[in-house]
Amino acid sequence: MGYGRRPHGQYPRPLGARYAEPVGRQASKGDAAGQATSGGDDDGSVGATARDHLRAVAGGLLVGLPLLWTQEVWEDGAVLSPGKLLVLLGIAFAVVAGFNALAGFRRDRTWAEVLVDSIQAMGLSALVAAAALAVLGRLDLSLGLPTIAGRVAIEMIPVAFGMSLAATVLGEAEEGLGGPSGQDAEVGPMGRLVVAGAGALYFALNIAPTDEVRELAAGASPAQLLVVLFASLGIGLAIVFHAEFRGGLAAGSRGGDGPLETPLGETAAAYALALAVSGVLLWAFGSTEGADLDAVLAQTLMLGIVASFGAAAGRLLVGGGKGSGDESRAGA
Amino acid sequence: MRRNWLEWLILVVSVAAIAALVGYLTIQAVSGNAPVDIAIEPRRAEARTTSAGWELPVTVRNAGGAPAVSVAIEATASVAGQAETSEVVLDLLAPGSDADLVMGFSAEPEGEVTLRLIGYESP
Repeated sequence: MGYGRRPHGQYPRPLGARYAEPVGRQASKGDAAGQATSGGDDDGSVGATARDHLRAVAGGLLVGLPLLWTQEVWEDGAVLSPGKLLVLLGIAFAVVAGFNALAGFRRDRTWAEVLVDSIQAMGLSALVAAAALAVLGRLDLSLGLPTIAGRVAIEMIPVAFGMSLAATVLGEAEEGLGGPSGQDAEVGPMGRLVVAGAGALYFALNIAPTDEVRELAAGASPAQLLVVLFASLGIGLAIVFHAEFRGGLAAGSRGGDGPLETPLGETAAAYALALAVSGVLLWAFGSTEGADLDAVLAQTLMLGIVASFGAAAGRLLVGGGKGSGDESRAGA
Repeated sequence: MRRNWLEWLILVVSVAAIAALVGYLTIQAVSGNAPVDIAIEPRRAEARTTSAGWELPVTVRNAGGAPAVSVAIEATASVAGQAETSEVVLDLLAPGSDADLVMGFSAEPEGEVTLRLIGYESP
């Protein structure tokens, strides 16, 4: 089980490793080989399988519970068209598969295995979401089949995200390895953007369906939206500087001086990504329907505050491991 | 590698759950939605007098294929010679679902209670 089988690195490492500098990449390959050997014993045991899946379910509920408790999402399940729900499930599957791939390949997993893991994550999340909704009394036969299917389809998405997250963070916690002093935490600019996107997604997911986004957007003046924009950018910039101080690195010493490796460039790219994630989420939950361009823009900027904070928090995780990454590179 | 019975069981159940869900949604998407079709049924036999007046239970059902939001239902009746109106708004009436409402009057009306759909939002 890929999403459950103990990854041994800290959360950012699997993401970063694919995009890392050649030196960091070698280090991660060595790790993966070592893990495959040491972790090989419990591969076949039913107990290990059960434990892995229980961890996945826990991770799924951890991320999914807020939306399982959100009235707007119950209604979306009844209101969104079946075609749109299918598109959302497709996007969710791509995200889950991408996450599993990033976490899985450094453990020498093949495409087929990653695919099977992702299918299991989606299927399990449907069952978990249905069970949770039933326990809450939000899923009974009187609703009619279309509503039942729609509600499960939309609520399983955050649960599936949580399951793919469990592959990295929760597995790591149990493993007790790594921690902030990862050994190969050198992360390239693209890797940092991937982490930023994931952070934006996980943070904004819980806010996107709520009416409050629309309410804030409707009440915002253009001047206020400008303030929102610069405040969001400011958060991102502050986090980048914080990360660099922790890593003890100047802006240019990240192994390159591409446009995404300056604080301003990276912040702008991360913010653009956060806005894109916000827009997609708002569309997914039906907030953009019937809204004109001004209203959509206002909603996106308002949700963008949350998303850019998530993006910044994600980058903070990566940036925090960077200094120690240098140490280990020196030793390697 | 991964091959114990529990893995297989989970995989089979997962595939079945996804196939059922995606299959059903696909059928729904392809077949196209029938429009909203709201039926209102008074349950006069279950009406009762309470300390607030007189209550008439009503079942509202959406037999169509599309959801209706903010469904407003109005009941009119003559109470002690005066026309009285009662109105209830439902947040959401999903396709194939029904909702139980209670329409209130100050006292038991003489004659029929007339129920009608005022309107709804089509999301």
